[in-house]
Amino acid sequence: MKSLKVAVFLALKSIIRGNIGIIVLTVFMLVLVTMNLLFVPALIRGATESMNTILIQTYSGDIIIEPAGDDTVINHVDDLLDSIESIDGVVAASARNDINAYFEFEDKRIGRVVTGIDPVRDGEVFEISRSLIEGSYLDSRDRGEILLGIQIAGADQEDIELYSSSLRHVHAGDKVVVTYSTGFEKQYTVKGIFDTGFIQTDSQAFVTQLEFNSVMPNMNNKATSIRVKLEDGADPERVIQRIASLRDGLDFQTWEQTAGLVQSMTESFTLINQILNVVNYLVAGITVFIVTYVDVINRRRQIGIQRAIGIKSQSIAISYLIRAVFYAIVGLIIGILVFKYVIIPVEARHPFEFPFGPAYLLTQPSYTARMAFILLVVSLAAAFIPVWRVMRIKILDAIWG
Amino acid sequence: MVEVKNLSKIYGLGEVEVRALDDVSFTIADGDMVCIMGKSGSGKSTLLRQLGLLDRPSQGEIVLDGEVVTRLSDTARGTLRLQHLGYVFQEYALLAELTAHENVYLPGMMLGEKGIDFRERAGELLELVGLGKRIRHYPKELSGGEQQRVAIARALINSPRIIFADEPCANLDTISSKKVMETLVSLNREMRVTVIFVSHDPDDKKYARGLLVLSDGKMVTEDAIK
Repeated sequence: MKSLKVAVFLALKSIIRGNIGIIVLTVFMLVLVTMNLLFVPALIRGATESMNTILIQTYSGDIIIEPAGDDTVINHVDDLLDSIESIDGVVAASARNDINAYFEFEDKRIGRVVTGIDPVRDGEVFEISRSLIEGSYLDSRDRGEILLGIQIAGADQEDIELYSSSLRHVHAGDKVVVTYSTGFEKQYTVKGIFDTGFIQTDSQAFVTQLEFNSVMPNMNNKATSIRVKLEDGADPERVIQRIASLRDGLDFQTWEQTAGLVQSMTESFTLINQILNVVNYLVAGITVFIVTYVDVINRRRQIGIQRAIGIKSQSIAISYLIRAVFYAIVGLIIGILVFKYVIIPVEARHPFEFPFGPAYLLTQPSYTARMAFILLVVSLAAAFIPVWRVMRIKILDAIWG
Repeated sequence: MVEVKNLSKIYGLGEVEVRALDDVSFTIADGDMVCIMGKSGSGKSTLLRQLGLLDRPSQGEIVLDGEVVTRLSDTARGTLRLQHLGYVFQEYALLAELTAHENVYLPGMMLGEKGIDFRERAGELLELVGLGKRIRHYPKELSGGEQQRVAIARALINSPRIIFADEPCANLDTISSKKVMETLVSLNREMRVTVIFVSHDPDDKKYARGLLVLSDGKMVTEDAIK
């Protein structure tokens, strides 16, 4: 207890009366390290969250239901949709029918998928209608209209990813010829063009279920898939169990299972983040090591005097460790506060733009706590090495060299 | 009582052996005031460092109040230094970041004896050495003589049985030297503290009651002066 009291006393005096420039510089370095340790994971988390949100809101929904086994369609889909929507936690469900087709405009011909939807129900599950850049969304009674993603239409936007394989110059109101895989050919007026920022969604084309049934009369009251939107916090597994109890022969996937691309990107980002974190912890450790080492060397004589007048080595060593913890804690506090109250608000006003939309910095308290703990341990370990070495020097050598 | 028996300190300089102390033996009674003299390089500071438990001899024994201290562990020697010995260095050796008051009571904090307010005692000791009005000053704000008197006050904080002073006036002017030596004499007479000091100034013999003279690490004189 006496040793600790003396250690705290020595540490406080040296912090208060020590070289303010060195203290400020050390703390500044640790502030930068802290912000760096927070920034990359927050960006990855923000980007992943944005990708997941856009994936759910425009492409997959929360749950995808498909026919199981050799079946290619879900039968009696209208009854099934009503039953699904009556389950607790389900917001809406939409049936979709896909068919391969060729699109022609001017001298350009490309192959894509046309999806038949009920615009009202699909609009309750997805938010594609909010991403229109030209024209308007489909009405349930539309027959000769088609809704195109930007990656099909092109819309003269040469900077989009698939522009060269799009129809390039199609705009709302233009007419495109669609040749279905059944051989049926029809000219459609482009009612609207959407750009969600998610390339898979923007490579889709939609017609009304009414129109789809006229093209594929045998698909009436059938669907190639059903997409389900859940309430926030609803348990997908519980909802899947309830739907499975309604009818056999269905296959279920949650949105995570369809997010292979997003997951592999997230895993790569996480690996990069871990490498950067190791580098950051090393920078923190080396900073504290150098500062402590230089400090200890400069104070070698003072340490010798302290030992000569009876101050225990452990008190002197602990005083240096307290200083290292002080640097780390002040650096952490300032770094976290600056990140939370400056960096995040500024980034929120000027978010990083990714192909799938803006990504906002998202922090995670558990990560921040773990990072702070590791940084403290690294600082302590880095300070301990030079202090331990000096404590092993004889008193006379410490005082007189 | 301090008993030194056949004490030697040998330094190795490559293959050459340097005997800084060579078979030195003597006894100093409690309450004595002894001056160790000798030419530069005679081994007087080396002897004081062995007595003050700052270094270990190569051979021989030091017995303090019946206890052989040369065989103690570093930790035990540190505790003994803290509890019973005071050491005054030639170069003042104050801690720059602490005020005069803090420099004095720091060893007291480490000692931490119940019932003793070391801050108050440090103030009293600074009064005793004539620095009562300088307690909040930092070492750099004090003259050499004042710093040395702070060092003496620090050496007294643990009410030591023995004070070792290594050429305490070496860097001081005549007036300051006189004040420092008179302070040590006063402590010896009034507080019955044994004082063992090293000096190269023959005039300083007048402050001592015993004299040890070293030459080339050997003791050539052990006299009672008065």
